[in-house]
Amino acid sequence: MEKVFTDGLSFAMPLLIMAVGAIYSEKSGVTNLAVEGFQGFGAFIGALIAVLIMPFFPKGSQTVIYIAMAAAAVGAGLYACLHALLCIRFQANQVISGVVINILAVALTTFFTSAANKAITGTSSNKLILDVSARFTVPGLQAIPWIGGFFRKMYPFEIIIMVLVLFFWYLMNKTRYGMMLRACGENPQAVDAAGGDVEKTRWIAVMISGALSGIGGICFAYSLLANFSPSIYLGYGYLAIAAMIFGNWKIGPTALVCLIFGLAKSGGYQLCIAMQLPSSYSDLFLMLPYILTLLLMVFFSAKNHPPKAAGEPWDKGRR
Amino acid sequence: MGEYVVEMRHITKRFPGIVANDDVSVSIRRGEVYALLGENGAGKSTLMSMLFGMYEPDGGEILIDGQKVVFHSSTDAAARRIGMVHQHFKLVGNYTVAENIVLGIEPMKKKFGFLPWVDMQEANQKIRELSAKYGLEVNPTDRIEDLPVSVCQRVEILKMLYRQAEIMIFDEPTAVLTPQEIDFLLQIIDGLRKDGKTIILITHKMEEIKRIADRCAILRRGRLIDVRNVADTSVQEMADMMVGRPVNLSQEKPEARFGETVLTVSGLTVSDEHHFDVVRNVSFSIRSGEIFAIAGVAGNGQTEIADAIAGMVKIASGSVKLLNTDITAASVRERALAGISYIPEDRQGTGVILDFSLRDNLALREYFREPFSKNGILNDEKFNSYAEDLIARYDIRSGQGAATQVRSMSGGNQQKAIIGREVEEHSKLIIFVQPTRGLDIGAIENIRREILAERERGAAILLISLELEEIMALADTVGVIYRGELLKTAPCTELTSQDVGLYMMGVKQA
Repeated sequence: MEKVFTDGLSFAMPLLIMAVGAIYSEKSGVTNLAVEGFQGFGAFIGALIAVLIMPFFPKGSQTVIYIAMAAAAVGAGLYACLHALLCIRFQANQVISGVVINILAVALTTFFTSAANKAITGTSSNKLILDVSARFTVPGLQAIPWIGGFFRKMYPFEIIIMVLVLFFWYLMNKTRYGMMLRACGENPQAVDAAGGDVEKTRWIAVMISGALSGIGGICFAYSLLANFSPSIYLGYGYLAIAAMIFGNWKIGPTALVCLIFGLAKSGGYQLCIAMQLPSSYSDLFLMLPYILTLLLMVFFSAKNHPPKAAGEPWDKGRR
Repeated sequence: MGEYVVEMRHITKRFPGIVANDDVSVSIRRGEVYALLGENGAGKSTLMSMLFGMYEPDGGEILIDGQKVVFHSSTDAAARRIGMVHQHFKLVGNYTVAENIVLGIEPMKKKFGFLPWVDMQEANQKIRELSAKYGLEVNPTDRIEDLPVSVCQRVEILKMLYRQAEIMIFDEPTAVLTPQEIDFLLQIIDGLRKDGKTIILITHKMEEIKRIADRCAILRRGRLIDVRNVADTSVQEMADMMVGRPVNLSQEKPEARFGETVLTVSGLTVSDEHHFDVVRNVSFSIRSGEIFAIAGVAGNGQTEIADAIAGMVKIASGSVKLLNTDITAASVRERALAGISYIPEDRQGTGVILDFSLRDNLALREYFREPFSKNGILNDEKFNSYAEDLIARYDIRSGQGAATQVRSMSGGNQQKAIIGREVEEHSKLIIFVQPTRGLDIGAIENIRREILAERERGAAILLISLELEEIMALADTVGVIYRGELLKTAPCTELTSQDVGLYMMGVKQA
């Protein structure tokens, strides 16, 4: 049972950081379907750097992971510039731009993974093999019945993500930049009239969105898969978007939704094991978060308040 | 420091296909109320948008306090103490009053000496003080989306004051206000003038200029026609200069000849999607040859009444009768065929199909029946001849006649096309919702004449307008709506605009 909580949290955290990224983009008024592409591209850059620097560190060194996380954030942040360029500078349709970014990410990373493998190892494989992240258990808290599972076998990145989420909640809700950003997504004309720079605010938000998604991606690579391959594109980016929507574009409720998704996923998996079903059935249970998504959508979508100006290109000349 | 605080010299601004300002020069004195008068598209707003840094002029120069300035953005203009209240308010709907006012220049504090955060308590306090000082009553913690337009306007004024603007531009500030609110606003403007602020007022209403302005510049089609001292200029002169020909300011209304009752609405209640009753238990009737006008502040349920009668929204309870037929449950088409014409509020969304030709738009009421179509096949010739006929008789102007895409036509001509199409049905009941909104004096004259002609013909007319002046000029009977209820129904002759204004704000109970 505790395993449900342990695995649930380790799945929910990368999902949450991606959802927070999506919230930043959308709250600034740029619809973001590109989360999937951002996380994949970020994970690729992180994995590539990790593979390149691994020989210089002792085997199993955790430092590599932190450097890979930073690289993933930077890489995905830069990749997100493409979305910003299309949506903000060229005022393209934001939905289409997002889809294009996703497809492009799959194509680019698949190609470059093979190319990089050939260059580094001489073999052509579509996987960049990574280490597995170390885990730790919080003494004391882990003894709590049931929810003690949350504190067992934690990945260090879970703590990093929690800190980041707190920081980005603060930035969004308590600072001048955050106020500007949220106003950009509601009424960019008001921001312009108040002397703010809509384009700059949105650029920064989209880049933040990319960086956070990249971190989410590399965390999945290190926890779920222990490698980078095109199989990183499992649709978790879309799940993050779903979490954002049910969380009503608010970081707190979104965190809760991510946790529910995480528990549904790990719960389904454990259920499958407990019922001693053949592993082919496990796929059926892994659908749980998505079915949950559909159900939640039916009940909660009507009451949501999406950012009013999301999806609308900002044109200064238009009155 | 010279006499003029703002000088705009030989300003020219071109947009694709149009010269919005053509060599316009204005000089504005410190502490005066300076009005810019002109019709839609005369270039008033464009001129002021350049002073506020939203556009850069193609030619000419701008001087503030005698110094040449070049504004690249409204931030530059704000730095020279220029503020602007736009016609469409620039406010963030889900932010509070205070958050909107301080946006971009929030009072900051540091937590633990390094974490910066926005101190909304301090902002609220500052705004309370400012609001008390200028008599602009607002509650800093109210959300904008819950507030009526008149309060939003106060927020915009406070926003300028908070940013210490000395030169304040008001773009059509009274367009959305009731008479009492207009009085209040003009008092505020007068107070600001006494406080030494320079006010620029963009408007097309001569009465307001007469009441508040010191000087007035008249623009027409992008050119400066004249600058006058308001005290020495009559309203008629201003109107003639604005339009470029003698204008008939008052419509002649023939004696009313009421006939049988055409429309009977009883106990009408309409709910919106949140199950909130936007129209509550409304009853009235309209006779043939009568103009029944519903006055009210925008969003009090008047549009929903029109939609309910036309069959476009569901009725929660009550009944609608046309002559002796109950049409409460009838479809839109059934109602139309029974004799209802509808000129809707949303001209471009509901009134026409923007990407269809003028010809097809004019046939929208007829295309499905003979002689416009037979067995489902459209009769092109009939479409064409009908369109030509209406274009000639209703003076609908467009680039390529019947084949013109409606999107490319001016708002006034789109409206003429809708009115032509609907009036041509010779319906027993014609519903006009905001028929003259946003149109030029010329077009307004034309449309009002059309409404009166239909009244002469014996149609029952339901007129819904936000312009009180229009209601008082046209209506035989006035119903005032407030929060979905008809507070007062009376013959127009028994009411003054002041009375109606008070009912509109729900101040006076019947």
